[in-house]
Amino acid sequence: MKHEEEEKPQILRATNHYLYYPDEKDIPPYLAYGFRPVFVLLAPYMIISMVLWGLVWSGTINIPFMDNILVWHVYEMLFGILGIGVLAFLSTGLPELFPGLVPLVGKRLKYVVLLWIAGRLSFWFIDITGVYLAALLNLSMLGWLIWFARRAVLDKLQRHASLGYALLALLIIEAWFFASMAGVASTAPMDILKIGLGGHVVLILLALRRVNMEAVNELMEDKGIDDVYISRPPLTNLAIFSVIVFTVVEFLYPNNSALGWLGLASGAAVLAITNDYILKDKFILNQPYVIYLALIFVMIGAGYALMGYAILMTEYTGISHFRHFITSGGFGLAYLMVMIIIGWIHTGRHLTSNIYTHTMIALILLATLMRGSIPFFEEYAHELYLYSAIVWALPFMIYIKVFFNFLVSPRADGIKG
Amino acid sequence: MKFALKILKDFPSFLWSGLGAIASILLFIALWDAGNQIYGDLVLPSPLETFKTLLLMLQDDSVLAEIHTTLYRASIGFGISLILGTALGLLAGFFATASMMSRPIVTILVGMPPIAWIVLAMIWFGMGDETVIFTVIVASFPIVFVGALQGTRTLDGTLKEMAQSFNFPWHMRFFDVYFPHIFSYVFPAWVGGLGMAWKIVIMAELLATSNGIGASLAVARSQLDTPTALAIVVIMIASLMFIEYIILEPIKREVELWRD
Repeated sequence: MKHEEEEKPQILRATNHYLYYPDEKDIPPYLAYGFRPVFVLLAPYMIISMVLWGLVWSGTINIPFMDNILVWHVYEMLFGILGIGVLAFLSTGLPELFPGLVPLVGKRLKYVVLLWIAGRLSFWFIDITGVYLAALLNLSMLGWLIWFARRAVLDKLQRHASLGYALLALLIIEAWFFASMAGVASTAPMDILKIGLGGHVVLILLALRRVNMEAVNELMEDKGIDDVYISRPPLTNLAIFSVIVFTVVEFLYPNNSALGWLGLASGAAVLAITNDYILKDKFILNQPYVIYLALIFVMIGAGYALMGYAILMTEYTGISHFRHFITSGGFGLAYLMVMIIIGWIHTGRHLTSNIYTHTMIALILLATLMRGSIPFFEEYAHELYLYSAIVWALPFMIYIKVFFNFLVSPRADGIKG
Repeated sequence: MKFALKILKDFPSFLWSGLGAIASILLFIALWDAGNQIYGDLVLPSPLETFKTLLLMLQDDSVLAEIHTTLYRASIGFGISLILGTALGLLAGFFATASMMSRPIVTILVGMPPIAWIVLAMIWFGMGDETVIFTVIVASFPIVFVGALQGTRTLDGTLKEMAQSFNFPWHMRFFDVYFPHIFSYVFPAWVGGLGMAWKIVIMAELLATSNGIGASLAVARSQLDTPTALAIVVIMIASLMFIEYIILEPIKREVELWRD
């Protein structure tokens, strides 16, 4: 399959922005485009940190150097990974959305990635280096990304400004979180992180609209399916509105019965986005990538709906477990999908589905179901915590096996970047 | 047959497209829940309590009997206005004079508030089935009539001529040339008429009878039993939405494709 693709390189749709490639000399392949170093680092980091957390939550090991482990776990899984995920998304996507923007490559890219690594080190050694250093490094990472994306916000047509505003909101939430951890703000850090989670969902819904538009249309063109996929803003906006209302009400009135209905509403609204995949003439729901991408909405939607159900039934212990449908399931799939899609297309290859991609998606689903079903199988909680973490980490190992070679070698079609 | 198959084939995606609507209904229910927390159970029972009451009511035989009574009245009334309205409307549409004459009368029928008809019907027929059925007919007849009238008035003259010059047999002329066009007007009018019938039947029952859902609503009001009252409202809305959106809307969509 792969060999066939490489023998007849075609010009892909997503190559026109490579016309504006900086003329820096001797750029190693792994720094030739924004996503390359990111995915090289992100996949192992996902594996190491997830297995570590699995061991911690199953009680096998404990992290003695950190107080309030739960809060830090949530912080790292949300904001720690957000920084580098957004870096990959923006540095790869922005030159495409705004032709003429010079991509971030080479030395400058290396410094930003080093900033993220420094942020991670400051996180894991936070009891030695202190919360202020972690705050400084992590906030400056996100702040720099927003500065990098300023063209999206200042753009006259405001086509992608929403992404910029969502990032700005996340920066403020992260700063608020650090203020709370440093004792400057009095809000409970976990409450702030829940707002952060809502912000992440909004950002992912906004980003997915762009990813969907590119990936699904690229796929249809590749397969000769003569139809157009359009991600309609109203459906996404309804979902974003519901999620924001849910997040605000959860902060102000946690476990209120109205929140239960809002959870169900958010679930339905997020699921409704999948209606975009039902095209006028052609049936594309049998395409693997359409199913993969749709599953992100299914997971996030299921998470909100189940949380809403738990609140209405006043079974509050389930809420945190069901939230993992959004995080482990929805976010996990979203990161993985972006890694896979960019890994194929932006290394000059066709969007390919094979046994590896199927397995990666299936394992994330399995891990999420294991993690989310803990309230129903309390007696196996210990095993489920540990094994769900390991199963969740497996797709990233497969990713390393399939994609590392692509990431560290030049594009298959010979174009720079 | 092909037509029915296409409706069935599009049905799952049609149902799925309702998710956005479900989301906004759920948002509205959340607002309702907030209203309950502000104003208390007596003024506005919580949605959850209302739905629980609803479930209990649906297991109660006497409530099912009331629903049956209401359904009977609504369907007799709507059935009569469907047959009369369609027949008279089609007939009036074929004759320019008849359609000119009927217009002002229809305007009077539509313009007269149903509540006035109920009062008149109570004087004419007393308190019973006839009053309710009459009001339903009077309210939904004009809607069906106008739809049928429009359908025949807007028939394409050139198509008629073509059918004549090719000497189509009468059944072909009717089923292949006139019917699809007329049906694309009549069917949506039926849907509109049904919605009207369903609303009017409750109102007429509330004022003029001692049984049926409308009467149950009156009892719930007098006993200040807000959960039951709201549960009845939910039954009415849910049944209307079910008939309109799940059964009729998919057919209507296909039918209206005929119209350019």
